[in-house]
Amino acid sequence: MTEAAFQLSGIVQTFPGVRALDGADLMVRPGEVHGLVGENGAGKSTIIKVLAGVYQPAEGRIEVGGSTISPATPEKIRDAGVRFIHQELHLVPYFTVAESVFMGQEISGPFGLCKREMRSRAEAFLREELGSELPGNRLIRDLSPAERKLVQVARALVDGAAKVVVFDEPTAPLASEEVLKIMTAIAKLKTRGIAILYVSHYLNEIVDICDRVTVFRQGKNVAIFDEITTDTGPALVSAMIGRDLDAFFPTSSRSAGEVALRLEHFDDGQAFSDVNLDIRRGEIFGIAGLIGSGREELIDALYGLRKSQGTLTLDGATVDTKTAAKAVANGMVLVPRDRRHDGLVLPMTVAENATLATLDENATFGLIDRGKARQVTEALIKDLDIRPSNAQAVTRFLSGGNQQKVVLARWLAKSAKVFIFDEPTVGVDVGAKAEIYQLIENLASEGAIILISSSDPVELVGTCDRVAVMMRGDVRTIIEKQDLNVDHLVAVTTGATSVSETEHAS
Amino acid sequence: MQVSARHQKHRLATLVGFLPLIIFLALLLYVGLNAPNFMTVVNLKLVLAQSLPVVLSVIGLSAVVMAGGDDVVSGGIDLSTPATAVLCAGIVSVMTTAGQPLLIAAGASLIACMLVGVVNAVLITRLRMAPLLATLAMFVAVVGINNVITARKRLNLAAESIASLRQDFVFGIPLGILLVAVLALLAYHFLHRSKWGLNLQAAGGSRDAAEISGIRVDRLVAQTYLLAAFMGFVTGFFMLARANGYSPGAQDNLMLEMVLATFLGAAFSPRRIVTVWGAILGAVLVAAISIGLKTIGVNVFWTDLIKGALIVIVVALSAISERVQ
Repeated sequence: MTEAAFQLSGIVQTFPGVRALDGADLMVRPGEVHGLVGENGAGKSTIIKVLAGVYQPAEGRIEVGGSTISPATPEKIRDAGVRFIHQELHLVPYFTVAESVFMGQEISGPFGLCKREMRSRAEAFLREELGSELPGNRLIRDLSPAERKLVQVARALVDGAAKVVVFDEPTAPLASEEVLKIMTAIAKLKTRGIAILYVSHYLNEIVDICDRVTVFRQGKNVAIFDEITTDTGPALVSAMIGRDLDAFFPTSSRSAGEVALRLEHFDDGQAFSDVNLDIRRGEIFGIAGLIGSGREELIDALYGLRKSQGTLTLDGATVDTKTAAKAVANGMVLVPRDRRHDGLVLPMTVAENATLATLDENATFGLIDRGKARQVTEALIKDLDIRPSNAQAVTRFLSGGNQQKVVLARWLAKSAKVFIFDEPTVGVDVGAKAEIYQLIENLASEGAIILISSSDPVELVGTCDRVAVMMRGDVRTIIEKQDLNVDHLVAVTTGATSVSETEHAS
Repeated sequence: MQVSARHQKHRLATLVGFLPLIIFLALLLYVGLNAPNFMTVVNLKLVLAQSLPVVLSVIGLSAVVMAGGDDVVSGGIDLSTPATAVLCAGIVSVMTTAGQPLLIAAGASLIACMLVGVVNAVLITRLRMAPLLATLAMFVAVVGINNVITARKRLNLAAESIASLRQDFVFGIPLGILLVAVLALLAYHFLHRSKWGLNLQAAGGSRDAAEISGIRVDRLVAQTYLLAAFMGFVTGFFMLARANGYSPGAQDNLMLEMVLATFLGAAFSPRRIVTVWGAILGAVLVAAISIGLKTIGVNVFWTDLIKGALIVIVVALSAISERVQ
């Protein structure tokens, strides 16, 4: 058994009100590709930041190459040979490949920069260490996403001192055929004896490339897989989600009506292509998909926040939603994922926010009838149980769940036909979650059309009648109610399908 | 199919990037056709001599824009440089008129100018004010101080040696032009051919990328505001030489031409970014247009309108070309 390239043991990291890491361990050996998987909020990104020296954990030990680093600062970690390939690219679009690779560590002689040497060394590094033939004088903005990723990798490793490389979701923005380039580069690094920590939501990639895998759940490593076989995919899924689903989802006796909302050939030429969906009246329809699947972009496009082509038919009539204003006018409303930025005007009161979309109805000759607006708001506050039940409260000081209810109140005041929920319960506590699910259920019972886009499989399974799964820009499949369970949904979303489908068939 | 669409976009962006240059050259051509004497060697010398203060101030401004990013609203910009230049001219004039030696006067104005740079740097890198607002406020404040110092009066050149920037020749080349050329070459070397310069561009191109690469962005940004203040100081002497003394109100036109030249200069660079040499070429072009319009007898007030419109066009086109990409 080889010695560890790095080892984190007994890490405890707390934030106000949360124990993000609760005695977590993680060990990676030289020359291995080690997968790190877990649901959102499992503690993956926290432990990476602990390893990076960004967070100082309350307890635990960080060892790199056999020696303890304490306290771990970003500089000391870097000096110890640990490098991070961040999910975001962080490149200057108008720099050349060579300039980007040597950013911050330029080669310069007595007469200034040695551009030619930088170029030839960057090209040599990309060719020999990463298996890529990129010319050093190409501009970043002319590269494909995978090529940019390789430039980012080269920048982190070009000094030759790297012993540990952490890849954080390296393939998220890439098309399927481009993923191979990254995989080739990682395989090359592995042969050099570099320890690689590979963090990804794509379980098929994890199974393909990793030698060992650690699974995180609720701030701890709950499983370590020392051998990866074709059966590992489903085993990873069950280790990730555990078996503690809360029964706080509403029960439903609804039956969906006829098809009322139809998406045909939606295409933005970039993030998604040829999306076709039929959604019924009174149905709660879910859209699942990882970052990079095109899910978020599709939602934005439906609401006119992103340019796209496609036909949207609502109740048999073609509807123009090319701008958000037109979407709202046609009865389609969005409860956005980032409610603090896009959903609410935080310094305004509950009443002002709730009536923002219906000012015309509460005004005479352009003057707002404050009394009427307050009456409308107070009724909504009661219906939705918004706390504090004060129309004049400033929304900034409301809890996440109550802020979300205010966003919802605005659209209820507008009596919309189609409600699009984008990550409806992010940052909402458990109690308020249940209330929001109940509100969504009530809307559907009253005949509204509901679309929920979510990264939380438990939420989708708990609330939706059907779920469309997007992957790398396509709708891969639509899961019907009878097949809808968390295992299956996670397996399909993360690309572990090939494994689970054979299982289905047998 | 996607590739060709990308190519088309690329070509469109290139065309949009060149448009400001095309507009300027068309304007020059128009002037040339209407005033046959315009395109002569004598006039070229006049244009160069006239452009010196703008050339000097765009060296500072382009460094600031390179380090702060070229977004006109949130990126790096230093509007206070013209005010710093007239502050220098004002202090030197008042002190030399009062009989102080030139060296003492220059020292005092250097201190004052660098103080402006330090305040800019603190406002922007410590208090995190938007550069556009911070330096606009500084522009107004510094012009105000200068009006107090000079009582807003025209002062004739008291230190004769400053006039040599305009009158003297070295190897047949005017001394002023030679000095500015040397400064421009130095600036080019340090901003485009040195580690420091490349780090500066990295900071302006992507602050996060630069910070991740271990570049100390705030320090670089602060240094560019100091450089801009220093260039303002140097500009002051050339303004004194050009106008044969201190004349109040010179900062307004300088600001207009400086901003126009810097952003116009981006059209010269193959990457469509603000560069020192592009800004310097831009400055010469702007001076040529100014003189050209005067030559064909366009009313001075109309000239301002034309310059203002050109700024709008240049900045709008750069925004459009970015969006197309």
